[in-house]
Parts: sequence; structure tokens; C-alpha cells
Amino acid sequence: MLELYHASPATLTAMTAGAGGVPCTATKAWVCWGWVGDHRDLIAAAVRQHIELTVVAVAIGLLISAPLSYLAWRRRRAAAVILSGTGILYTFPSLALFGFLIPFTGLTFTTAEIALISYTLLVIIRNTLAGLDGVPEDVREAARGMGLTPLQQLLRVELPLAIPTIMAGVRNATVGTIGLVTVTALITYGGVGTLILLGLQKDFRTPLVVGSALSLLLAVVADLLLLGLQRLLTPWTRGAAAR
Amino acid sequence: MNSSTIKGSRTIRFGAIVVVAAVVLTACSKDKKTTSASSSTSAAATSSSAATSSSSAPESSSAPESSAASSAPAESPSAASSSAPATVDKSKKIVVGAANFGESEILANMYVGALKKAGFKAEVKKGNLTRDLLAKALLSGDIQLTAEYVGTDTEYWNVAANGKDAPAKATPDAAATAAALRDLIASKDLVAYDPSPAADQNSFAVTKATADKNSLKTMSDLSKVASTFTLGGPPECPTRPFCQVGLEKTYGLKFKAFKALDPGGPLTKNALTDGKIDIGLVFSSDGGIAARNFVVLEDDKHLQTADNVIPVLRKDIDSPEVKAAIDGVDSKLTTEALTALNKQVDIDKADAADVANKWLADNGLA
Amino acid sequence: MKFWRDVFAWFRDSQHWSGADGVPHRLWEHLQLSATAVLVAMVIALPIALVLGHIGRGGFLAVNVSNIGRAVPSFAILVLAQQATHDIGTKPALIALIALAVPPILTNTYVGVRAVDADVRESARGMGMTGGQMLRQVEAPLAMPVIMAGIRTAAVQVIATATLAALIAGGGLGRYIIDGIAQQDNVQLFAGALLVALFAVVTELSLGRVQRIVTPGGKPSGRPVVGEVGPAGGVSALPR
Repeated sequence: MLELYHASPATLTAMTAGAGGVPCTATKAWVCWGWVGDHRDLIAAAVRQHIELTVVAVAIGLLISAPLSYLAWRRRRAAAVILSGTGILYTFPSLALFGFLIPFTGLTFTTAEIALISYTLLVIIRNTLAGLDGVPEDVREAARGMGLTPLQQLLRVELPLAIPTIMAGVRNATVGTIGLVTVTALITYGGVGTLILLGLQKDFRTPLVVGSALSLLLAVVADLLLLGLQRLLTPWTRGAAAR
Repeated sequence: MNSSTIKGSRTIRFGAIVVVAAVVLTACSKDKKTTSASSSTSAAATSSSAATSSSSAPESSSAPESSAASSAPAESPSAASSSAPATVDKSKKIVVGAANFGESEILANMYVGALKKAGFKAEVKKGNLTRDLLAKALLSGDIQLTAEYVGTDTEYWNVAANGKDAPAKATPDAAATAAALRDLIASKDLVAYDPSPAADQNSFAVTKATADKNSLKTMSDLSKVASTFTLGGPPECPTRPFCQVGLEKTYGLKFKAFKALDPGGPLTKNALTDGKIDIGLVFSSDGGIAARNFVVLEDDKHLQTADNVIPVLRKDIDSPEVKAAIDGVDSKLTTEALTALNKQVDIDKADAADVANKWLADNGLA
Repeated sequence: MKFWRDVFAWFRDSQHWSGADGVPHRLWEHLQLSATAVLVAMVIALPIALVLGHIGRGGFLAVNVSNIGRAVPSFAILVLAQQATHDIGTKPALIALIALAVPPILTNTYVGVRAVDADVRESARGMGMTGGQMLRQVEAPLAMPVIMAGIRTAAVQVIATATLAALIAGGGLGRYIIDGIAQQDNVQLFAGALLVALFAVVTELSLGRVQRIVTPGGKPSGRPVVGEVGPAGGVSALPR
């Protein structure tokens, strides 16, 4: 493969990205493990940034969704407005959302986060409402019969029973956010999207493949972790049927 | 009944944890915003957008002019770059901005390496996508120093101060252009040191086959075929005076179409090779032009001006030590060396930082 | 205030409405790219999913292909297509968009057909229908709302990703956004964002209309119709 090289032997040895022998960066290989080994720091930083962007987005998304869900739950008309509004936000392509924000908030963390948070709202609110809707009427009856106030009913009975559906929404939102974080590479953030963009800019397949694989991996891990959390919060769904 | 009460309070606890976590994370991330951005930009190779290419695209004339430019470092306009504070504060980190193409990163890393050797704290900040952003960052203090290209930068500040139709201040004479630049930026508390012999110019290349078929040697030769040609370049090329706008004004070239790609990067070069575009913007210090059998058309009407590398920095970090460190790099740098380094980064996919540091070491500057 | 005036002026400028970089042409490019991708994806995914749903096989794959599809970011798929085809512009964009559109259509169609009541299937069999007839005359029509939901999801996803095609020298409305960022032209950026957002919303609403039309008996609740199959894997997990 040396004939692929127009460089001098000196350059060759200098640029052997730790792989020993022929730099695989010269070939069109899909993954150059040498490059990966040499750039562990870069990759780790990208993953850290990705996690940070995701966690902040989902956390704030939850924070905002909670009161909105409550409002939608209590009043039908508010529900229509809230769901339409968050629905429209959800429909906007992420690039369009950046386009709306950049003239005002620039190429900043805030811009990235506002966009990411916007996409979590519909999913979480919609699933929260569905979860609350799904509480059997006789359970509600029983709660009323016990003399619980509507608020107590909500907090002690309806919400816990709605957790599986809410968590499904949180999982959905988290996986979606992890995917969207990659697009923030276009406004100088990106998490592992940075690696993907690097692949495009440098015509270099390794960071592209690494970035894509990591994004997939992060999504799967996040989904599993949240599933575990869900099981933790709803022990009555495990094992034998709850009494 | 007991179970649902327990579950209910668990939910509340969970909710409380989420709220606290969100607040803590937001507070932390706000503090970390600048550091995580800069650490990820210094850690990540190129975290800026492919499409938001840098119009720091250097533009200068061809070889004869750069030898004229090589006399520039000989005269040191000490007048403009002195008035430095007597005691230099070395505890404050100097942030060097880089645009999103390999050469800019290499230069930034060289400056950082030289500054570190002089005892300063320094780091590279990428994500400064275009000249406008670099300029903004310099003015706001987000970055303190960046490597620019004297002709293009002069025109940038000229247009910013005097409007789009202002007569050009950049010429093929690097020294004179540098003086013009200093005049333009003095009021903004920015200074420029000496231009380097190394220059990087906007060039337009076709494949050898295209050149042979249409007998193309100079830019003027394009007038007979421009209307059938597709031009490829960075997305801002259609609005840039040394790109498509200049091609029209100086050479009267109106192309059939324009394809937005990247600043002289692999997308443009691949598109040229694959015949997706007929002519593309490349940088004269690109290490891969010869290997790819491209023919660079001569700028016979001198649209491009002297585009030697020149450091532009904020007055508040100007000091004899900084100047010595930076001038040390710039005076030793040649176009040939820069071209070879570019090749390592662009073709061999080496790290700009590694390449820069090795060059510094080889030249006794690390 | 000036900014809004500039944006308004951008739309008023007749130059922005003609030529290769004009709104009609960019809109047409975007529409062409998106519609082609969705239609091709339908041609690929519908037959497979209908048959699989009918015979009840391949469920695990059919449901999870959508989860995986959602987990791989569309940006990555676009660049991967660009690298794999070593091309720029329409071809790699189309490949990436088709790859993105297939999973939701596949999954929703499969789940929709599977969800047809067992009793209904029984009676169809009892009436002497062949498998093919059952699929055509019973299962597919009953599954239509869910199938439409899948197509709608795919369409919106495709339109969004088609804006990214501008990164690899593609056309479409994303051009205004990418160029706006590169040229530091916030007015163009905002105008482009408006156009893209409008296009996406109009598509979502019109396909929503179509979905409502094909839903037999209308919806029970006033809530917005199903978007796509959720991670729980079943259509029933979502509100209707």
C-alpha cells in the first residue's frame, strides 16, 4: 500500500498514527483503529459533551413539561393549545429551529439547548397525559372514596400508576435528543456529532463511523438505563401481579 | 392503600431529585459553558460546520509577488506594534482563534506552541467559522490572537469601515498592505505584527483534462467557457470580493452554476476530480494539488492581492515577548513548509496540533 | 425591530423568487427530494411489512428496526451515504432519506396489520377469503390509520433531514439556512428557517388530514393523532 503514498519515508514514519507500518488513514478504510487509539481524548471529550447536552435538555424538558402537563390535565382547552404548540415545535426541523434562534442567541450553548429542549416537550407531555388517562376508573373511584383531594389523588395514585407510560415518553425523548445533539455540531457543539462532522470535512471515514456508532451506543445505553429506572420506580409491575 | 402511599412519596422523591439535578446541571453547565466549549473545541479536531467555511480564504497573487512579500519581514514597522505594557501578565491565558480549515488550525497551534515556550499560557479555540466571527471574537475578547491573511483581512476591515464599494486598499505588496491593515484596525485596539513570507492565496483550479481540452492557462482564458462551467467553492463565495464577485468584476466571468462545498477542502477537490464541478476554489498552499493533477489557473489580472500570513491581535496582549514569540514563528515559515504541513493534515489526516508542534520542534521554537 | 423589517424585505425582494436560488426552485427541489424518498420507501417497506404482518412473522425485527432507525442520527446517515457513494448532492441525499423513511413505515405497517382483531380475521377466514384477499380487503384497510401515521412520521423526518442535504451541496430550502450561517446573513437564515418550518408543518397537517380521512369511524378523543410507534412497541401505548 506504500505506493498510495506520494510522501517521503520521513513523512511516513512521522505520520504513522501509532498503528505501526502503513498509516491506514491513507486508505479508504472505514475504521482506522490507530486513529481511534490516538484520539481517545478527543472521543472521550465528545462523549462527555454529548451526555451533558442530553441530560440538561431532558432534565429541563421534564421541568417544563411537568406544569404544562398538569395544566393540560386539568383543563381540556389548555390541553389542545399545549399539545398543538409543542406539536408544532416538534414538527420544525432542527435546522429551522437553529435558524430562528441564532439571530438572537448566537452560536451558543443556549441556542443548542433551547432547540433540544423543544423537541422533548411534546413527547413527554403527550405520554404523561396518556399515562394519566390510562388510570382505571375504579382506582380513581377508590381514591375518591378514601377522601383524597384531587391533588393527593394525583400525586399518590394517578402519577405512580402513570409512571410506565411517562417513562416511556422520557425514554423516547432521551433517545431522540441523543440523535439531535449530533446536529448541534453545525453550531460548534455537537458531542459525538463533532466526529461525524470531522468525517465530512476531512473526507475521513473513521471519525464518521466512530461518531455514528457512539451515538447509537449512547442511545441504547440511555434507553436501558431509563428502563431500569422505570422498573425501580414501579416494583409492582415486576414479578407476580400486584395485589 | 399503604402501597400506593409509599409509591406516591417515591414519585415525589423522584420528582424532587429530577428538579434538583436539573437546577444543578444548568448552573454547572452555565459555568462550564465557555470552558466546555473551548475544551471541546481544543480537544475536537474541527468542531465547526463544514458549510460555514471560513472566508479567511487567503487571497494573494502568484509567485513573483510573494518574493516581493518576502522583503516585508525585513522592515519591521515597530511603530504600530509597540506601546506595550512594561510588565507582562503571564498568568492570563491567551486564546488563539482558528477557522475551520486545516491551515488555520496549524497556524493557531504554532502560535500557541511558541507562546507556551515563552512562558505564556495559551490555547487554541476553534469554532470561529468565518472571518466575521473571528473578527467579532477578537473585538469581544473571546480570542486574543489569530493568524490572518494580510490582503483579505485588509479588505474585510476596509469594507467594514468604508462600505462595500470602497476602493481597495490591499495590493500585491505585502508590506504596504500590512501598513494599510494596521491603519484600519488601530481604532479597534487591534494590532498586526509582521507578515510572514508564507502566503496562501485563493486559486482556481481545473482538472488537467479540462485545461487541455479548453486550452486554459490563465483566468482570462476562462471567458470563453465560463458560461458552461460550474464553479465550486465555500458557501460564502458568491458574496466574496476575492471569490465569485471578484471573478465577475475583474474577469467578467459569469458561470453557469455555483455549488456550495467547502473552503478548498476535500468536498471541493473530490467534486473537481469527479467532474461534479468544472472549476473549484483551492488554496495555493494546498498540499494535494499536484498529486491530483489539477491545473491552477494564473491570476493574470491580479484579482488576488498579497495574502501573506499575518498575526492580528488585541492591543492588550501586545508585548515585546509576545511579538518575539509570534514573529519567531512567522519569519521562519515559508509557503513550501506550510504546503507540506497542510498535506499532512489534509491527506494524511494528521492532527493540526501534532503537525504544528513537530514543525516548531524541528525549527527550534518549541 | 430592524431585523424584522429586513426579514420582511427579504420576502418582498423579487430576486429571491426567481432563478436557481429563488424560493420556488428551492421549494421544488426540497419537495422533489422528500416526496421521492417517501414514495420509494413506501414501495420498499409496504409490501414487506404487509406480508410480514399478515403471516405474523418477523415481528421482532419489524418493530425494532424502527427503534434502531431512530437511534442512528439522521445527520450520520447523510454523511455515511455521502462517504459510501463518494458523491455529493441529490444521490447520497436520496439514499440517506430513503434509509430514514423505511423504518417508521415498516414498523407501523407491521404493527397496524397485526393489530387487526383476531375475531375479524376469523370471520374473514370463515367467509372463505384467501390470504391475499384477507390482506387486501380486510387487514390493510383496517390498518390504514396506523400505516398513514407511519408515512406521516417518515415524511416529516425526511423533510427535516432534506434540509441537511445542503451540507453536501444539495439544494432545497436548507440551502438558505446553511448559506445564511456561512455568509453570516441572519436575515437569509431566518427567512430560510421560516420556509422550512412552514413546509414541514403544512406537510404534517395535510397528511394528518389524510390520516383522519382514512380512519374508519373517526377518533374517539380530541387528542392529536398518533405520531409513531413508541418504544413500548405497541400502538396501544400511545394516546389516540
